[in-house]
Amino acid sequence: MMTPEHELLFTLTRRHFFGRAATGLGAAALAALLPRAAQAGGGLEGLPHFAPKAKRVILLHQSGGPSQLDTFDYKPGLAKHRGIDLPDSIRMGQRITGMTSGQSSLPVAPSIFSFQRYGQTGTWVSELMPHTAKIVDDLAIIKTMHTEAINHDPAITFFQSGFQQPGRPSMGAWVSYGLGSENENLPSFIVLLSQAHALNTDQPLFSRLWGSGFLPSSHQGVKLRSGADPVLFLNDPPGVAKDTRRSILDTIERINRIKHTSFGDPEIETRIAQYEMAYRMQTSVPELMDLTKEPETTFENYGPESRKPGTYAANCLLARRLAERGVRFIQLYHRGWDQHNDLPRDLRLQCQGTDQPTAALVADLKQRGLLEDTLVVWGGEFGRTVYCQGRLTESNYGRDHHPRNFVMWAAGGGIKAGVRIGETDEFSYNVTADPVHVHDLQATILHCLGIDHKRLTYKFQGRHFRLTDVHGKLIKAVLA
Amino acid sequence: MLRLYFALTFGTVLAAAAPGVDFNREVRPILSDNCFHCHGPDSATRMANLRLDTEEGARKAIEAGNSAKSRLFVRVSHAKKPLRMPPPASGLSLTDAQVDTLKRWIDEGAKWDEHWAYRAPKRPAPPVVNAKSWVKNPVDLFLLARLEREGLKPAKAAPRETLIRRLSFDLTGLPPTPEEVAAFVNDRATGAYERLVDRLLASPHYGERMAMEWLDLARYADTHGFHIDSHRDMWPWRDWLIRAFNRNQPFDQFTVEQIAGDLLPDATLDQKIASGFNRNHMINFEGGAIPEEYQTEYVVDRVDATATVWMGLTMGCARCHDHKYDPISQKDFYRFAAFFNTTSEEGLDGRYGNAKPFLPLPNEAQQQRLDAIDAKTEARRAELDDEVIELLLRRWQRERFDHVPASPVRGLRAWYELDGNLSDISGQFRHGRVLTGDIAFGAGSIRNGANFDSATVAEFPASALDVSRPFSVSVWVRAGRQQGQPILQQLELSSGGMKGFELALAKPRTLPRLRRGHPVEIRLLGGDPGRALIVRSRDYVFLQNDNHHLSVTGDGSGRAAGLRLFVDGKPVALDVVQDTLPEGFRVEAPLTIGAAKAGAPFKGRIDDLRFYDRPLGEGEVEQLAVRYPVEVVLATPGKRNRETAGALRDYYLKHEAPEQFREAYRELLALREERIDLVEEIPTVMVMDEAETPRDTYVLGRGDYTQKGEKVLPGVPAMLPPLPSGEKANRLTLARWLTSPEHPLTARVAVNRYWQMLFGFGIVKTSEDFGSQGEPPVHQELLDWLAVEFVESGWDVKGLIRLIVTSAAYQQQSQVTPELLERDPENRLLARGPRRRLPAEMVRDNALAASGLLVKTIGGPSVLPYQPPGLWEELAFGEAFTAQEYEQDHGDKLYRRAMYTFWKRTAPPASLVTFDAPDREKCTSRRAVTNTPLQALVTLNDPTYVEAARHLAARVLSDVSARNDDMRLRKAFQLVTARLPQAQELRVLRGALAHQVGAYQRDPEAARALLAVGEKPAEAAIEAPRLAAWTNICTILLNLDESVTKE
Repeated sequence: MMTPEHELLFTLTRRHFFGRAATGLGAAALAALLPRAAQAGGGLEGLPHFAPKAKRVILLHQSGGPSQLDTFDYKPGLAKHRGIDLPDSIRMGQRITGMTSGQSSLPVAPSIFSFQRYGQTGTWVSELMPHTAKIVDDLAIIKTMHTEAINHDPAITFFQSGFQQPGRPSMGAWVSYGLGSENENLPSFIVLLSQAHALNTDQPLFSRLWGSGFLPSSHQGVKLRSGADPVLFLNDPPGVAKDTRRSILDTIERINRIKHTSFGDPEIETRIAQYEMAYRMQTSVPELMDLTKEPETTFENYGPESRKPGTYAANCLLARRLAERGVRFIQLYHRGWDQHNDLPRDLRLQCQGTDQPTAALVADLKQRGLLEDTLVVWGGEFGRTVYCQGRLTESNYGRDHHPRNFVMWAAGGGIKAGVRIGETDEFSYNVTADPVHVHDLQATILHCLGIDHKRLTYKFQGRHFRLTDVHGKLIKAVLA
Repeated sequence: MLRLYFALTFGTVLAAAAPGVDFNREVRPILSDNCFHCHGPDSATRMANLRLDTEEGARKAIEAGNSAKSRLFVRVSHAKKPLRMPPPASGLSLTDAQVDTLKRWIDEGAKWDEHWAYRAPKRPAPPVVNAKSWVKNPVDLFLLARLEREGLKPAKAAPRETLIRRLSFDLTGLPPTPEEVAAFVNDRATGAYERLVDRLLASPHYGERMAMEWLDLARYADTHGFHIDSHRDMWPWRDWLIRAFNRNQPFDQFTVEQIAGDLLPDATLDQKIASGFNRNHMINFEGGAIPEEYQTEYVVDRVDATATVWMGLTMGCARCHDHKYDPISQKDFYRFAAFFNTTSEEGLDGRYGNAKPFLPLPNEAQQQRLDAIDAKTEARRAELDDEVIELLLRRWQRERFDHVPASPVRGLRAWYELDGNLSDISGQFRHGRVLTGDIAFGAGSIRNGANFDSATVAEFPASALDVSRPFSVSVWVRAGRQQGQPILQQLELSSGGMKGFELALAKPRTLPRLRRGHPVEIRLLGGDPGRALIVRSRDYVFLQNDNHHLSVTGDGSGRAAGLRLFVDGKPVALDVVQDTLPEGFRVEAPLTIGAAKAGAPFKGRIDDLRFYDRPLGEGEVEQLAVRYPVEVVLATPGKRNRETAGALRDYYLKHEAPEQFREAYRELLALREERIDLVEEIPTVMVMDEAETPRDTYVLGRGDYTQKGEKVLPGVPAMLPPLPSGEKANRLTLARWLTSPEHPLTARVAVNRYWQMLFGFGIVKTSEDFGSQGEPPVHQELLDWLAVEFVESGWDVKGLIRLIVTSAAYQQQSQVTPELLERDPENRLLARGPRRRLPAEMVRDNALAASGLLVKTIGGPSVLPYQPPGLWEELAFGEAFTAQEYEQDHGDKLYRRAMYTFWKRTAPPASLVTFDAPDREKCTSRRAVTNTPLQALVTLNDPTYVEAARHLAARVLSDVSARNDDMRLRKAFQLVTARLPQAQELRVLRGALAHQVGAYQRDPEAARALLAVGEKPAEAAIEAPRLAAWTNICTILLNLDESVTKE
């Protein structure tokens, strides 16, 4: 709970970025003022609430809403309903988006992809995901995720912040705020973006998805970008050599120390420390991004695109390197999963671009022993409708947004491998057993990190806000 | 232990004036935060039928004077954990100190008091103090009385250099110039400080500085925020805001105009613009979103913003249920919402810029042109008498009825009418076929046409077209939305790359406002990148979703000069991209539409596709594009629909009518174009209005737009004064109610926020929450005194600011001792002056101002300064909308004040956000102040700062009055910090300079590289190594803690 005392303390120290509360701070007064204020990593006192199973999270967000019907939710019985209007007994008057509410019919479109059973668990996986199929025994698959929004903006905002409307902190910001960092040279919350493989128009993303909402802005996700400056303005300007920069920083520090001596403001000490951290980042980030020391086999495993900076495959590889370095919350966004039309072509392209690196990441973490304390979560903001958007033909169809059931999977720290949660009806339109709400997943992710989702709160506008609002039950069945 | 320690420290700051426990300051916050959730205003979740938010309710659990017999105390101090309140499941718990406070309060008689903020403030008598000589005005009396009680002494007055810098930033957002500093430092006459204050309050930059604060509250931005997040224009409202502050509009009028300017009798244009305050919220038009859902969100946002900005109330908490802490029921929320639910807005809007309702704001010249166009249009329209035209048109149709549609047939190699199949009707039997997917035939340009989704591929025989000999291609195209796409391809893969022919739409160009237009490209590809003939339409662009006739003719020469492109029957100018096709180029591949051999596959409609083995003449192309479609319509019996009837009329008036009608029609069309162009130039601004049939408002179950409950009428919560009786319950009445002197909140909230602006913290720290969960005021009497003073002064904002900044408290120096830091770490008691990092905007403006780069133009549209590439594009929807690609400005626009930076909500200005600027999605009442390494990277490496450092260096090096390096260092130091460096600082800088000069003399190449950063050319008269070395010295100065701090 964020007491006013905590709030005072945090506005005073503001050291969440790397979370180092007291490191490098000489001010005795401050140290006296902040007894056990924060742990070495900069999280809140009393956190984690209990022994964590996972120390970090890799969230592989597939933006746009991947089709559950063409990947994991196998519905062989649909063939016989092909082309018929979705029965009212299934739709039950539930709202649908403005994109298909005007259609004269909602014809059922079975998946054109073939499914097979894989692994000891005998899990059905479509032909689009041959690599994920190989690691399927490591995954806990939830077929009955459901959400409240039916359009991208509110749905993805809801998934990331627990609320459909803007203004709340994102999941990574909450975790950064609660737990701080394990690596003093890298931000605790890192975001990696990659662009669609699908050819059709893509859905946008918003910086609020990794924003800090009402939490101090130092908890917002830091984007690691491909290109010269992986972190904004990381590189010194042209013509400023390393020793020149060092001398500049030394001079700044010397004058700041003179200031501190006469003014006594602990904020000056903090600034001195932050300039040093910036300098260290100039080494730690390029070292992180430098893949030249990765063996050939790495690239073979993650696939050919992993050599191309900024791709999903390259980001998966970076996610592993970030996990190795103890970054707390690693958030990937891959765009392009919004198959309103041309689903057979575009979903295939999306899977071709992501299936192999996703599976490689899980396997790689496992082989390195990192999967034990890294939680990996895969999925989008909602699923897709069984009925066709636009014209249903032999070879082509599209699917609209579907919030009532979709598939996500989790693996690694705190998760029981191989469990399968939930049942959907024969149209993959409604949950028939064991629904899992987005807030439940959020509560579970926090739980794996040793956080009681009801107790990680922040007082804003008089209210103790939390990621799961006033909801969220642990998904006990997936917990190891 | 920790909790106790802090409770004491914190309690000390907030402790009451009188001995004994103060209910409002000490007790209510404990009850509110820990008990109200289940024992508070929300009846739906109230437990044990006990409420502790009212005196009557609480008395049931309290026996005054006897804590041991009070159920409240018994339960919070219960030895058995399961019985102790608050229950473990709540996640809440009381500290020992809090339990002790409750005990003492009960034992002292449990005196109850109404929540302080809901009682109208009365002007208290200022307290008596000992150190009277320190006091400059009544503000000081209140502060000093408290300090004396605490045994603390105020700090000395800050040096004048510090004061002028502090004041300049606080009142104008800009640093003082060295001349201004000197003038003030040397002004030894009495009243120098007050004169300085008055000068700054009169500066036109005062309005900008005050607007900066208000823009966060108003959630001002230049994009809509939701989903596509495209461009909007609210800068005319921002301009109004700056003007309003500069003319010191009284705060009550300022309030009325922003909430209900449109409803004022005979509202002026400015008053209507002011009402745009409540149109600054985010707006959505995501495909598939449900209008009512978002229209509801807009209203909720207005309630949130209005309640926060003027009342410090968290009304939003009562959207889904009764407020958990404050006496605001869910019904109250919707009654308040009803004031804002009567505009003519639509739920989904904004695709084309501003969303309804909005006002056009033509300048005088534009208005004159508009009037002239309208007058001419009126006159020309009168010449085209509908009845006469109708008669003539009918006669003409009768005359032409028997004509068979005519089109060129000589040299026709293949003709696909595409009226339901891919047959060739030229008689050559070169039929096409569907390769994958299937084609939907539907209404087309000529009878039916063929629709391609991106999974459809059609193929036509190779022999239909041979571009190595004379040829023509003629086709109607409606292009769907793609990033650029081939229409027709005749390609094969050769060893070096693609070989063959393509007619394609190139990557689209962004046109004014929303439109995206593709240049048309004709490509003859020779199999490797070095061998190709590519021409592209120079000015013409094919607008997405438009329908046009395209003809390509070629003379078979394989040279650019031999190719022509016609659009809708008229030749268009071509640019030659490449003209290196080798001799003997031939292609024998089949023709395809929809294959993704290169680029995205075609999506859209194709009609009347023809191939000829000769170049068609201009007359023939015009026949195909203009007359033939009309002749087909004329020759087709049956009833005409509106579209075909319209097309006939258009054709007739363009080509066949008597000359006087044709002329009138031509000019009408030209006037229409001119008017469209003009209207696009005229800025608009979104405003509030009242719809002709206002929407009804309902209580929404759980805040959900689908769960309509009781219908409600506009009204205000009962704990606040009632609306004036006899007035219509609308926004105007609401605004006047807010600014009535009896209102307990408006003035307090306003003066508190200005206090926050100047001191870093409000007297009520939670400036957004004056309710039960907010922090009680640290100096309630001072707050009340200021609030009453503010109202009685006629809501004089400049007067209020003058009062605060002329206090002795404001003028203190900001050094802090370890003892004081421990006593009052946040400086709530103000035993020293405020010292805080500058807001994001001022960090940047200070660097630009010190360097001399700052362009001080006030107002106007937002600008796009330097920004790392890709920050918008990596997130954006990407096409067919505005504000998707960052097109950086140049020249003066790079150096405008940061407050004019284009604010895209989903990707707000990176360098500003790093310094805690909000994304402006919601009303923000106070910003965090963080201190992070990312900030260091900005001020060290962002080209804005590197260029500013270079310019600052050039400024001091070119200053003839600075005759040696020490003088130059002093000068630069003063430009950045307003003071001269101490000897010790100067010594450090001298050493650094020697080091930098040495480094760049050894490496002049590096010097030139550094000087090339930024678009302003480097000062050529200064040799590169020297300027580079000084640039780094200036970077040092701009990065000092003091430079980014108001101290």
